[in-house]
Amino acid sequence: MVYARLTSARRRVGAVVLLGTLGLVGCGSSTADSAAEGPPLTIPREDMGNFTRNFNPFSPNSAPMTHEAIYESLLIYNPAAGDTVPWLAESWEASEDGLTLTFHLREGVTWSDGEPLSAEDVVTSVELQKELLGGFEYLDSATADDESTVSFHLDRPFSPALHQLGQMSIVPAHIWSEHDDPGEDLNEEPVGTGPYTEVVSFQSQSFELGPNPEYWQPEKQRIPGIRMLAFAGNDGANLAAISGDVDWAPQYMPDIETTFVAQDPEHRHYWFPPTGAQINWQLNTAQEPFDDPQVRKALSMAIDREHIVEVGMAGYAIPADCTGLVGTYEMWQDPALVDDCEWTEHDPDAAEDLLDELGFTAGADGARSTPDGDPFTFDISVGSTSSDWLSVANIISQNLADIGIRASVDSPDWASVVAAYESGDFDTGIVWSANEPSPYQYFRTLMSPETVTDIGDQTFENYHRFGDDRADALLDDLAAASEPEEQHELVGELQALYDETAPVIPLFPGPEWGAYTTENFVGWPDEDDPYATLSTRSPTTVLVLTSLEPVE
Amino acid sequence: MGYILRRLGFYALAFWASITLNFMLPRLMPGDPVTRMLSRSQQRLEPHQVESLQRLLGVDTGPWWEEYPAYIGRVLTGDFGVSISQFPTPVSDVIASQMPWTLLLGGVSLVIAVILGNLLGILAAWRRGSVLDSLLPPVMIFIGSFPYFWIAMGSLYLFGIVLGWSPLRHAHSVGMTPTWSIEFVLDVAAHLILPALSIVLVSLGGWMLGMRNTMIATNAEDYILMAQAKGLSTPRIMLRYAARNALLPSVTNIGLSIGFIVGGALLTEVVFAYPGVGYQLLGAVQGLDYPLMQGMFLTITAAVLLANFLIDIVYTQLDPRVRTS
Repeated sequence: MVYARLTSARRRVGAVVLLGTLGLVGCGSSTADSAAEGPPLTIPREDMGNFTRNFNPFSPNSAPMTHEAIYESLLIYNPAAGDTVPWLAESWEASEDGLTLTFHLREGVTWSDGEPLSAEDVVTSVELQKELLGGFEYLDSATADDESTVSFHLDRPFSPALHQLGQMSIVPAHIWSEHDDPGEDLNEEPVGTGPYTEVVSFQSQSFELGPNPEYWQPEKQRIPGIRMLAFAGNDGANLAAISGDVDWAPQYMPDIETTFVAQDPEHRHYWFPPTGAQINWQLNTAQEPFDDPQVRKALSMAIDREHIVEVGMAGYAIPADCTGLVGTYEMWQDPALVDDCEWTEHDPDAAEDLLDELGFTAGADGARSTPDGDPFTFDISVGSTSSDWLSVANIISQNLADIGIRASVDSPDWASVVAAYESGDFDTGIVWSANEPSPYQYFRTLMSPETVTDIGDQTFENYHRFGDDRADALLDDLAAASEPEEQHELVGELQALYDETAPVIPLFPGPEWGAYTTENFVGWPDEDDPYATLSTRSPTTVLVLTSLEPVE
Repeated sequence: MGYILRRLGFYALAFWASITLNFMLPRLMPGDPVTRMLSRSQQRLEPHQVESLQRLLGVDTGPWWEEYPAYIGRVLTGDFGVSISQFPTPVSDVIASQMPWTLLLGGVSLVIAVILGNLLGILAAWRRGSVLDSLLPPVMIFIGSFPYFWIAMGSLYLFGIVLGWSPLRHAHSVGMTPTWSIEFVLDVAAHLILPALSIVLVSLGGWMLGMRNTMIATNAEDYILMAQAKGLSTPRIMLRYAARNALLPSVTNIGLSIGFIVGGALLTEVVFAYPGVGYQLLGAVQGLDYPLMQGMFLTITAAVLLANFLIDIVYTQLDPRVRTS
């Protein structure tokens, strides 16, 4: 009964019946290794119907766990607690002029083939990444000062560089410098520094990674292995979670209390910290009347964020405020401004007064028209597959109808929505924003004139096409600022500018979905111990993998 | 022979038309593969990063009059290129890894549905007015009108979750390695039953009704009366005289269905997390993965045309009238 032993108790019933009707169903030999030490940590992947054996970290569609369990980075930023964890680098410092960033590598780290980690590996990794995937345009060169010290030379002071460079995956130079075409290599037998690097088995719908025999913190490799399961959509993955066949469920589950937790309240838990990207309602500011910040603020006051997060997001999100920094960037908030937020409070009367003042008066039927006399109507775009955001858009539409504005929800597939965002051919829409450790990129894509393109020209950052010259000056200073106090002061000015200009209408910070069961493994992050989020595809994932331990 | 040649000419023309459509249609969709990839993962990249990705993935940027001849050339040499959404895996590998499961699921359910449906149709027509004839067609139509995925989800819930009789997902148990061992074959069979059943249930009615209606017309023919007058046994008249002649429309339908198997059963694959090309195809279309899309559409086109061609040949054997016309 090898088969039955490998499955959970819940599955055993089904397995036994199957055995009865179909004769003995045995098990392949490939699981013998892990079966000896207990079941592996099982994780579903809901957006891949099948896996391709591609562990190339430079591929935009590498197999899951490539960046999380096989390759590691110099440091890890944990958005749940807002701290930075040294990883392959033990320490780092920036030079006085901010042009050189030096990392000191940890002693005693070896690749899974036994070779030691060296500064040369970091140099090769950054060069490959820059060549293949772009980015790091501020980086002049990277040099290995000695075996364990690597320096990055920047062409201008740029504080976000620390996390951008620090969080890239480090690959072994002795293997990757051999490749003629590193971008097209499938890297089927990866050599990494991560905790689980050995491919134990690989089938198109599941694969298993075993422990790295040379891992630098062997005392933290307490789970026997990682098993990934492929699912063509949330439903299958949710079914697996509900029937107890997976340990960790990072996908969205509707009504998680009843569908998932209630089946086994003792073991099953979820935690949705607001560390995802800020979700905004963007208005096309290159288009009248959305070019007027007063109009944007009036519309913002008309919408009921409490209702949006309670109903649209099923209570799993928290409302945003006029700093745009709730959630991930909370530590950057200016408390004085937070207490003084006006245009993000639900106040339909104030919204109506402001609209009347601006000339958007209501006719006899209650419908408002623009100062030119045209009816004030527009579309709210949102991708049809995002059912939660779709209901958010519907609530906004309802709120606007209450003050005499007709906004219709337009929901084709995401690709067409985004294509329209990129070319500027939209009225308004629900959209995510940049989500990096530093608020630099966030504010830059929201307010910098540098990121604005004309309508019709493609852009990938500033869809709403808002720019304010004051933002550019502040952003340049922020990039150059190395001291935390100075950075906080500049971010304070940036949020004041955000509050003044309302570049977008903030709705809520996106929740980071994550649920787990303690039936087989314990040591999960949660609200009391936010050492990582429950995401299975972010830099913090390795922190969870090295913290979990099997139940005794 | 002239007939076969004429058919061949027709198929060549149809093939050209379909590969041209294949080339055109994806390019009429908005967006490009890289931005679609970003919109799926809800990322924001800077413009030069997008450019690097486009370069890495080799996204077509040339004008169509340069792309089109190159595309025809690649099609004729069987080189589909490298998939964008699963870069850097070659398209042929992506299709080959999923095709066996698609053929298994589609083939098994088609064979069962055809044999069972036709037999039921023959019996129903032969015993007109019997319980079988008056009860089964409406029931089959009723079941057949349900959408595939509804039947699939219903049966998964009933047999998989409530009763626990069948596996909930995938084509074989996790951790098993595909071999020709008896355990593995049985395991695959156990995982196949429910997905195949849901397809058979929905398609059975069509086969049964089609056969029944032709059979009724055939039963009224003089040669049936003649056979009965000669005192031949009932099974012999039913199968060799009536059913054989009533089979022709069914054969045409089988040809079409064989071709469409290759397209995969998308909804069944999604519900049962069964591997197959259907979900791949959806992903390819959503991700604007031109090379993969073209490879898959081409495979489907070729399979439909090939199946039809084979049916044309079978027809000449079954129906002498086709040979002379």
